[in-house]
Amino acid sequence: MNPKVNIIALVDVVGALSDGGLGNGNLGLVDDSAFESTGRGTPDLCTVVQPGQVVQWSALAVDVQTPVEIRDIVFLGPDGQPAGPARPDPEPGENLDVNVWSGVVPYLAPGVPHRYRLELQMHEGPHAVLHVDSPALMCP
Amino acid sequence: MAQQLAIIVLVDIGGALRDRTLDDNVYVFDNMRFQGSTGEGTGDLVTAVNGSYWSDGSQGTEQVLNWLPYALGGIPPTVPRGYAAERSRQIDQQALDDLRALADGADDEAAGGVNRIRRDIGTRVRSTRGARGLTSRKVLDVTGRPVSGADAAAAHNYATPIITDITGEAVDEKIIYPAEYGSPDMVTDGWYWSATIDTARPGTYAYTMHVQLHELVERDAGLRWEAVDLTCEARLRVVTEPKRNAFTGGGLGLLPVYPAPPAAPAAPPA
Repeated sequence: MNPKVNIIALVDVVGALSDGGLGNGNLGLVDDSAFESTGRGTPDLCTVVQPGQVVQWSALAVDVQTPVEIRDIVFLGPDGQPAGPARPDPEPGENLDVNVWSGVVPYLAPGVPHRYRLELQMHEGPHAVLHVDSPALMCP
Repeated sequence: MAQQLAIIVLVDIGGALRDRTLDDNVYVFDNMRFQGSTGEGTGDLVTAVNGSYWSDGSQGTEQVLNWLPYALGGIPPTVPRGYAAERSRQIDQQALDDLRALADGADDEAAGGVNRIRRDIGTRVRSTRGARGLTSRKVLDVTGRPVSGADAAAAHNYATPIITDITGEAVDEKIIYPAEYGSPDMVTDGWYWSATIDTARPGTYAYTMHVQLHELVERDAGLRWEAVDLTCEARLRVVTEPKRNAFTGGGLGLLPVYPAPPAAPAAPPA
């Protein structure tokens, strides 16, 4: 088993900002899990992982001259809302590029998709942050 | 950010040729103002380059710069590059057609003369390659009309400036490694300057862009394009920060998955 699983968020930044959303093909999530992940290439990626594996998320822009960074990844609680305390907002001009979004998979109830909110930031301003609640991690 | 950084060098060619300097005749822009660039739209641009490094000191993110020259007072770069050559051919064709129309209403002698010219010229072959150089084109104004006579040197549109080299402190100090690359994008005339940046040594570094302009001059009873080489300067401000784990703020830890799974598990997304 590969100790590391990569999840890449491919973002059409211009499309996402124009639509004001990450649907419509503006976001595609892909992973390299050895298990049967579902929804690869869509925002509905369900990555199958095992406890102890390290998952690392990265964001890449389809148009290489557009900016996109992961602003936050928060797992959702039973009510479908982000669980735990909210992280402080990044400051203007903050370099989100220094963030490494990786962590060890804890024990998870098998067969249950643990959905998370993926927040992406494109440039700055009131409409710069968009998110999806559809991706998930799941233990087989 | 890991995006490619674009630096636009917008040259007021008329002013630069008149003053023989790019000072106050160049406007430099980049797409990194939100990351701390200053002097956008002036001749004193300082581009922010926000690097990062790993805990072992190695470079965290590759930063890439691209330079593109634009012209004030030229045909816009969005017009296909073959535009001037194509317009030149259309203008020739139009002249022939006009001559033909004229001949139709003229006397026999003039009509015979025009027909002879037409025979001598033969059928026009549509060229798709070559003849795109400055020297083989007609002199056009910004609306694509040919200019002629004494006004030509004043009324023409300017050729797009060309960056011929990037030198200076940032290059000498090996902060950037600039080179000219081929590009399939004819908006850049098929070439562009690009550089990777060593973000391991923070600081502000100046560099010099060598820009070649083309001036239409009257010489030896004819119009000629002559190269005018000028330079302008800009700076890079390189900062670097350590990479850190975004979940923990420090090292690697367990993912903060909400401990209890949802009571009624949703079906896995299709």
